Amino acid sequence: MDHNEAVRQNATERYLLDELDPELRDQFEEHLFDCQDCALDLRAGAMFVEQSKVLLAEPATHPVVRPVKAASKAGWFAWFRPAFAVPVLALLLAVIGYQNLVTYPQLTAAANDPQVGPWASVNVSTRGTTDTLIKTHTGEGFGLIVNLPPEDGFASYGVDLYNPAGRLEWSGPLAAGRTEEGRQIYIPGRNRLPGTYTLVVLGVTPAGERKEISRHSIDLQVQ
Amino acid sequence: MQLQSFDESYVQRLEEGDFRTQEHFVAYFSELIQLKLRSRLNSPQAIEDVRQETFTRVFAALRGGKLRQPDRLGAFVNSMCNNVLLEHYRSNSRDDSLDDEEQPEIPATNVDVLGMIAAKQMKEKIAEILEEMPERDRRLIREVFLEERDKDAVCSDFGVDREYLRVLLHRAKQSFKSLYLKNVAARPPGAVAVGKH
Repeated sequence: MDHNEAVRQNATERYLLDELDPELRDQFEEHLFDCQDCALDLRAGAMFVEQSKVLLAEPATHPVVRPVKAASKAGWFAWFRPAFAVPVLALLLAVIGYQNLVTYPQLTAAANDPQVGPWASVNVSTRGTTDTLIKTHTGEGFGLIVNLPPEDGFASYGVDLYNPAGRLEWSGPLAAGRTEEGRQIYIPGRNRLPGTYTLVVLGVTPAGERKEISRHSIDLQVQ
Repeated sequence: MQLQSFDESYVQRLEEGDFRTQEHFVAYFSELIQLKLRSRLNSPQAIEDVRQETFTRVFAALRGGKLRQPDRLGAFVNSMCNNVLLEHYRSNSRDDSLDDEEQPEIPATNVDVLGMIAAKQMKEKIAEILEEMPERDRRLIREVFLEERDKDAVCSDFGVDREYLRVLLHRAKQSFKSLYLKNVAARPPGAVAVGKH
């Protein structure tokens, strides 16, 4: 195996993933010991894998701490100067007044009145992926009713919701109850972007291990 | 460790017992040998035994002028390692023949302060790369490498194929590689890499 062939075959990645058959593995190793470029590539990849294992084994990944510029002491007291304080207080009064007279009554009515909104049912009876289409209006949430399989040996259930970018947006348990009743999840509509969301249903074994049961694509169309 | 070309002059310094060159040689090929052996041997002790025996034999061969093509030094080390590994499989433990031969003192790999700083930087960089990944990709890496689950089953669970896994690893490695190269080039020979067995 020469260098170009090693690059073309993604030999480094396949070696780290243990995907090369014995013959190719021997050929790549023979090249590796002679090629400093490939050796460096492999060592970088191996270090990434080894350190990832260490970091991912920790209870939570440590966010990178970035230095924060300390504020000067004089800056804090500057907020009490009348030039700032008077207009800020006036603005604050206006906001409080608006909330009491407009926002709060609207929220009270919204919380107490029956709501009609879009919803969809998700069946977890079979392993695999299902697609669901939901149409909402801007700012409107939607409901999901998750029907769990009966008697599958899990102590409890949870769900993960991924946004269209693939990022985990919400994760939580499914409310306890008899499996045949189904569980309801309400997804708020505020700032919700259209696209394909992924709902992953997880089962928690009596030993506490989380296992993925199924995943469902929720195609959200905001009108 | 600094990059050096494995040429006639390098091999000559090795044959003459130049300590710096031997130190570089052992540090450079130790990592490759360990990477090679970890998929073939289960215990760290067995890996260490084969590594040491490989260097013992390579140094003996060099002193005896058995390396005819200096530019094939790497292939020579690999071939010697294969031979030692085959013998290890046959004996399944270190037998007398491995101990009887004269064993020159092999330079040890030492932890140095600069190496430790570089290791910390690299660990932070890897944490940053993981942090920036979508949650799904982080879980993929966790299940494949940490939990060592069957890769086909993991890919099936996450709705991706094996090529996705390769590309994910390739991108992560490339993001990390520039810092790795910078640190490796600046480190003196013999420094221990972070997380090494």
